[in-house]
Amino acid sequence: MKNCLGMINLSENDGAFGVLCQNRPTSMLPFAGRYRVIDFMLSNMVNSGINNIGVFTGNKVRSVMDHLGSGQPWDLDRKINGLFLFTPTYDYTSINAKVGDLDLFFQNKSFVKNAKQEHLFFAKSYMLANIDLSQAYEDYIASGADIAIVYKKVSDVKNRFIGCDKINFSEAGEFVSIGHNLGMEEDFNLSLEMYFMKKTVYFDLLFDSVEKGNANYLKQAILNNLGKYKVHTIEYKGYVSCINSIRNYFDANMAILNPEISNELFFEHGHIFTKVKDEPSTHYMKNAKVKNSFIANGCQIDGYVENSIIFRGVKIEKGCIVRNSIIMQKTHIDENVHLNYTILDKRTTINQGVTLIGDPSLPYIGGKKAVISKEGNL
Amino acid sequence: MKEGKMIAMLLAGGQGSRLKLLTKEVAKPAVPFGGKYRIIDFPLSNCSNSNIFDVGILTQYKPYQLNSHIGIGSAWDLDRRSGGVRILPPYTNEQGGRWYKGTANAIFENISFVDELDPEFVLILSGDHIYKMDYSKMLDFHIAKKADITISVIQVPWDETSRFGILNVDEDNFITEFEEKPKHAKSNLASMGIYIFNWKLLRAYLIAEEKKAESAGDFGKDIIPQMKADGKKTYAYQFEGYWKDVGTVKSYWEANMDLLSEDNELDLYDSNWKIYTKNKHLPPQYISCGASVANSLINEGCKIEGNVENSVLFNEIHIKNTSNVNSTVILSGVTIEENCNIYNAVIMEDVVIKAGTTIGSPDSDVVYLVSKNKIIESE
Repeated sequence: MKNCLGMINLSENDGAFGVLCQNRPTSMLPFAGRYRVIDFMLSNMVNSGINNIGVFTGNKVRSVMDHLGSGQPWDLDRKINGLFLFTPTYDYTSINAKVGDLDLFFQNKSFVKNAKQEHLFFAKSYMLANIDLSQAYEDYIASGADIAIVYKKVSDVKNRFIGCDKINFSEAGEFVSIGHNLGMEEDFNLSLEMYFMKKTVYFDLLFDSVEKGNANYLKQAILNNLGKYKVHTIEYKGYVSCINSIRNYFDANMAILNPEISNELFFEHGHIFTKVKDEPSTHYMKNAKVKNSFIANGCQIDGYVENSIIFRGVKIEKGCIVRNSIIMQKTHIDENVHLNYTILDKRTTINQGVTLIGDPSLPYIGGKKAVISKEGNL
Repeated sequence: MKEGKMIAMLLAGGQGSRLKLLTKEVAKPAVPFGGKYRIIDFPLSNCSNSNIFDVGILTQYKPYQLNSHIGIGSAWDLDRRSGGVRILPPYTNEQGGRWYKGTANAIFENISFVDELDPEFVLILSGDHIYKMDYSKMLDFHIAKKADITISVIQVPWDETSRFGILNVDEDNFITEFEEKPKHAKSNLASMGIYIFNWKLLRAYLIAEEKKAESAGDFGKDIIPQMKADGKKTYAYQFEGYWKDVGTVKSYWEANMDLLSEDNELDLYDSNWKIYTKNKHLPPQYISCGASVANSLINEGCKIEGNVENSVLFNEIHIKNTSNVNSTVILSGVTIEENCNIYNAVIMEDVVIKAGTTIGSPDSDVVYLVSKNKIIESE
């Protein structure tokens, strides 16, 4: 896929995550014990042979920069190609509020222009999967289409994909439009918001839309010009989880306790790469009892842990009961704490004897660096 | 000469034959240790934590795995624009090819490497030892004493003094006498094989030593006694903390077991002195519903369905249902099938233990080294 340029836009809607996304975008949410959401799309690209990648960081830049750095964990610290980051720019000339991705793409058009690749692949990070993009790319090239959209047939009984894009086909099976899923149909075609596009077509769409002022989003520009271009659709049959709400985020984490899903997510089409923390082994101490849990390195566990995801460097003291919870990096849980259905962000401290209980539909959330104590023990 | 600059020369060519099958394919410094490390990670991490960024690694015995582990040194932040990590194997020249005869001879053969970096001091390290040490403090000591050589020493139990090179010192830590493996030692300060030399002086001695026909080219046997005889100022730097030279399979097993005690001196969880190693990019470990894990170290990519107690598990190990693993060190990629009972063993990389196998017993203190096609008992 060396003739394909990767573009990841991280300006995703993070309004549904409350305190978890106070200082980070959705793409930087910690996931599965040691990863961030973006690691999956970046690793997919790298594992499929895309080695020139532009990332549009969105507003919460600090967290993105800290995690991606020079791109070294993904082997993207290159002289030829590599990782390029585009932050939002301050603009004195525009009188309009900035909406949509087209403006971002327009401002950074020289990146695409100067790249040697002739095809583009656009993706978001919140559609989380381990996907073999090279197969989809071959399909797109073989179809001779100008644009290809990746979708998945879903049967969404539990309303997991509310608010996502859906693809509509005509009765003859031709691509007709992209809409917004409100949950009216159980079975529909979910757009994974992954597009392949010829570079020439991209610039035609971009310049046309800016001149006419009739589109804010790339997908809008595609729909405006449907007659002009050949659009192909590619079906993806693997596992995908959509990180667009706290409930979905919680369930997507818990889903990896299913060995079939974790095998697919972590091994099927190559490993997932992330920033390395050089943590030592995890130490299960004398009183440790652990059941059905995913545990990262560098933890020290002396309590009871069940159905939980424990991130790197977490300390769980004796007498604790941790069930159905997501405990992020460097959190310290002191003796005799009881947690059920909680999400604790990085570096939180839970003092002795605290009980925190959430609900599967809305877990209790402890914000980053929070210190939680029993009444009277502060 | 760059004033105050110190570079490290790390001797990593030893075989460590008493480790038996553990060093069949790799040099002793490349032997895995402590769940995710190789022994050489300790001196290398000490170097970068001590702000020493020029490290020459002298290799000789089966260097392939060692070389690929070290790579360009990025795991230790030693991938530098200038200097950084350099692997220095034996080479040929106009006079033909030679192996490194001894520790000092290996440095002699690489005089031009050190000259190019042009340091004031050279730190000689061994890649065989497990410890955490701030070499910059030893250098401060060396400079404060205006010493010609400083040798790092550690107190060993009196009944073990006959295994070590023992140094006798006065109240100023000036070395008065060397005794190689003495029967009746006068002190219990053992040399750790860590030396700081002033490069100019060492350079002259290396060249002089090379001219002697009977020389073994060894620091402990030749260079240091000669310097001492010539009245050079030799000091002992007393190190306190964990230091281990794992010589045998049993002591290797014990050193791994040491890490299971919660207040062990090595303290790998100290974030101010991390030990770095090459990362394998594996997902977290999974402990299943039916598993039980206690008093053990476990690493990324493991899948535990059986019972694990008092054990150290490296990466990507699969322990299936109803198997029991006790007081065992398991290296990466091992699968233990159903209904196995394993006690006091060291299981080597990628071994598959067939269902129903029993190794060792809870009442014996014999340690078993398990490889793909044979099991050996420790002496």
